[in-house]
Amino acid sequence: MSTSIQKSNLWHQKRRRLIDNIARYGIGFGGLSVIMAIVLIFFYLLWVVLPIFSSAEVHTNDSYIASSLESGNTILIVPEESGKLAMRLTNDAKAVFFEQSNGKTLKVIDLELPSDEAVVDAQLVGLTENIFALRLGDDQIFFIKLSYRVSFKGDERVLTPRIEYPFEESFLSFDNSIKTYSATLDEEKLTVSVMQQDHIIKLYRYEVEEGDELPDAETVTEVESQTSVDYMLLDAQALWLYLANKQGEVSVFNIIDIEAVELVSQTKILPPNEELSELKLLIGGSSLLSADQHGDFSQWSIQRDQSNNYFLNRIRGFKNDNKIIKIQTEYRRKGVLLLDSAGKLIIYHTTADNVIAEHQLIDSSVKHFALSARANVLIVEDEQQQISITKIVNEHPELSWNALWDEVVYEGYSEPDYIWQSSSADNDFEPKFSLVPLAFGTIKAAFYAMLFAAPLAIMGAIYTAYFMSAGMRSWVKPGIEIMEALPTVILGFLAGLWLAPVVESNLTGIISILLILPPGILLFAILWQSLPKQIHYRIPDGFQAALLMPVIAGLVWFAIAMGPVIEHLFFGGSLISWMENEFGIGYDQRNSLVVGIAMGMAVIPTIFSITEDAIFSVPRYLTQGSLALGATPWQTLTRVVLLTASPGIFSAVMIGVGRAVGETMIVLMATGNTPVMDFSIFEGMRTLSANVAVELPESEIDSSHYRILFLAALVLFVVTFIFNTAAEIVRQRLRKQYGSL
Amino acid sequence: MSEAVLTHGIDKSILSSSGQSLSLESEDICINVNDLKLSYGEKSALHGITMPIPRKRVTAFIGPSGCGKSTLLRCFNRMNDLIDNVNTEGQINIDGDDIYHPDIDVSALRRRVGMVFQRPNPFPKSIYENVAYGLRLQGIKQRHVLDEAVEQSLKGAALWNEVKDRLHESALGLSGGQQQRLVIARAIAIKPEVLLLDEPASALDPISTLKIEELIYELKSEYTIVIVTHNMQQAARVSDYTAFMYMGDLIEFGATDTLFTNPKEKQTEDYITGRYG
Repeated sequence: MSTSIQKSNLWHQKRRRLIDNIARYGIGFGGLSVIMAIVLIFFYLLWVVLPIFSSAEVHTNDSYIASSLESGNTILIVPEESGKLAMRLTNDAKAVFFEQSNGKTLKVIDLELPSDEAVVDAQLVGLTENIFALRLGDDQIFFIKLSYRVSFKGDERVLTPRIEYPFEESFLSFDNSIKTYSATLDEEKLTVSVMQQDHIIKLYRYEVEEGDELPDAETVTEVESQTSVDYMLLDAQALWLYLANKQGEVSVFNIIDIEAVELVSQTKILPPNEELSELKLLIGGSSLLSADQHGDFSQWSIQRDQSNNYFLNRIRGFKNDNKIIKIQTEYRRKGVLLLDSAGKLIIYHTTADNVIAEHQLIDSSVKHFALSARANVLIVEDEQQQISITKIVNEHPELSWNALWDEVVYEGYSEPDYIWQSSSADNDFEPKFSLVPLAFGTIKAAFYAMLFAAPLAIMGAIYTAYFMSAGMRSWVKPGIEIMEALPTVILGFLAGLWLAPVVESNLTGIISILLILPPGILLFAILWQSLPKQIHYRIPDGFQAALLMPVIAGLVWFAIAMGPVIEHLFFGGSLISWMENEFGIGYDQRNSLVVGIAMGMAVIPTIFSITEDAIFSVPRYLTQGSLALGATPWQTLTRVVLLTASPGIFSAVMIGVGRAVGETMIVLMATGNTPVMDFSIFEGMRTLSANVAVELPESEIDSSHYRILFLAALVLFVVTFIFNTAAEIVRQRLRKQYGSL
Repeated sequence: MSEAVLTHGIDKSILSSSGQSLSLESEDICINVNDLKLSYGEKSALHGITMPIPRKRVTAFIGPSGCGKSTLLRCFNRMNDLIDNVNTEGQINIDGDDIYHPDIDVSALRRRVGMVFQRPNPFPKSIYENVAYGLRLQGIKQRHVLDEAVEQSLKGAALWNEVKDRLHESALGLSGGQQQRLVIARAIAIKPEVLLLDEPASALDPISTLKIEELIYELKSEYTIVIVTHNMQQAARVSDYTAFMYMGDLIEFGATDTLFTNPKEKQTEDYITGRYG
């Protein structure tokens, strides 16, 4: 018998130890897993974000002599963007395709030219990436199209180059020799600008589809320049024509209506006695890039002043040590490659205002300077016909610390500004990636939510924990806590679709509630105090709050009902238009007031619950100690209870802020998502979290936009992390100071 | 008193420490309890207590757990009001004022009747602020008044020498015994007439207990002291009068040395000789 007891004791002890160990390791494992998961999330975000901040890599690998490849002088070099092939267009009408890596000729295509004239020069037709305008002889322009057919030989990708003729063998023939020309093709609209004599530029417009022959020009307009013309730049969308001379006198013509061309601006962009070394249009056509003899590089944006006059505004630039001799813009981004007289290649991004890379190219002078459409291959041919290939890895030039967090002068804006406008239909658009409006929106939303939630939740918690009877508390506390279970999407939905219109149509009433409710409640309290004691005794202690419910309901009804009357009497029938007219305060239907209320509702249960616990757990012996010294309950509350509960209240507010900052659904549905920087309570906002939710599904994986959304998430993560850590440190210190025994 | 005389297990030598024989008839009465009944809801806790409490004497309440001695003590400053469903009948007069009269200001009453609890309960403030608390409640802000009162009270509670160099440090850094003396200093800072001590030394070590007892002895020259204690030695040591309570009734009340040496009631004798409790 005693051995069996011993045995069972032994077994029991083993079991206890086992359970103890399982619990210990289980809890340890769980805790570590949570930390691991957070660390992993952090590193994943960081891993996606990091390429933004990596600088560009530039390598010049291969160089060889072009003349050894094929006879004829190079007119134009076109690198193929995957980095395998390149085309050399020669003056003897050959398209020579060679391998970028070693210069080996792969294929030579003889161009089928409509006439026997030599190819004098060639240039890319605007808005396309593969149609080229060739000048034949003095007075003819012919178009060819370059394409590659992709096939697979086993696993190997084989590119077969082809030359097509978009307008068959038709060509443009002019009566005089051409000095300068430029062409752009926008769907079925071919615009060609040609200068034959000095000062006179002719604009031709053809309605033509690819594959058809060129018809006669539909419109011909003559533009006369008052100054000499050294640079003629036609915007790819045929909206603007820029004429400039060496002295930096730029004339801008609005050619949107090609039959009524208008000189909109004349500006001298250089100081006296300075000369332009290069002038180019940035993609999008609304910025000029100029370089002068002394290495000054500038971006000029065409903008409108108050009285609708256009002018050129220098929005950024930098000074290089040497003269910049070539400007090559990227085809799909707002990036620029510059070459200076010392053979230094400078990769610059306009929006980011950032020199991304500098790279010593060659020593001798450059003749051809060709960039692939993806801006990853640069082919340079020098005077000695030496060809060199430069590979560029530059994934995210548009992102820099300045572009993300500083005010930036964007094209068309006269003032630097913080703007978030991430995407548009085409490449010409300048993406505006300032995270400031989003961070601002996040703070604004959290601020208004806390403005609404913190006083209500904390005061409610104080009353519930300190004054309310136990019976009523056992209903009120779980009641408010259960609000936390309400999905925020429902709150957002109600806020956006029900509350926002209600607030808009009852704005005066809603504001009157704020003004009427506090004095109304006080008045009721005074009335209640002055009632005879017999009536007091009917209400059990701690249940007095319940009496307020009909009072509050009545006051709210009264305020709403009085709203239209007040509006009629004081605000000419509509508060919203009165504010707009008198003070210029705009009103969005989905605004911070609505968000404050809706998100406040989401945050209240959290703050309430933690504050209530903190106050309720202030030891009775402290309260009693204070009361025993003759303190009133109010004195006890303000001098002992709140002091002792302050770490808890502080952490409640911080957790509330953390929730408001990270909250997504409500702000997504109730803010209108306009990334404005306006602290007005009647304007909307866009928060970091809502921005990620809205834009991530439509952003291209690994694009700058995609990474910047991850950066927004990372910022959110770090901000909440810092917030919580700081809150915890402060809380610990408070607890040390005020925490009871 | 070289020779220890033991009566009912109590060292009789400590009883007549006051050196004089006491009798209630000759005392100035401070608190008069008259047929006090108290119930928590349906449960009756005190059934008709009548007793006088003499001024500037130490009166001890003894009795087994649950006998109502703490409840009775808390009636004197109406701390029982804080508990839901408490019904009090009967009268308590302090200096002739019926403290259960509806017009009585409870806060003012509690300024007259200070209380020290079983567990030291300093506020999470500095030592100085703890002592000044009661004065600040009354709106006293003048620095010199507060300084003076803090020093006097701490001296009165025999704590001054230990804390005078760290008045502005947190009171929570003090030891348990020091905290309890601080709480006493806090209570006497507002100059009450009556000091209620609810088992003030039960959470303390023997040395601290001794200090508290010495303090009680000092304080009785100025305050009417009522002490609840489980420790009969302590009651015998510090009190002039002792009330023995059992199951909500006052069984016996009299001068301490009489009660311990020659109890009138059998129940009292049983209790002090350790037959139950």
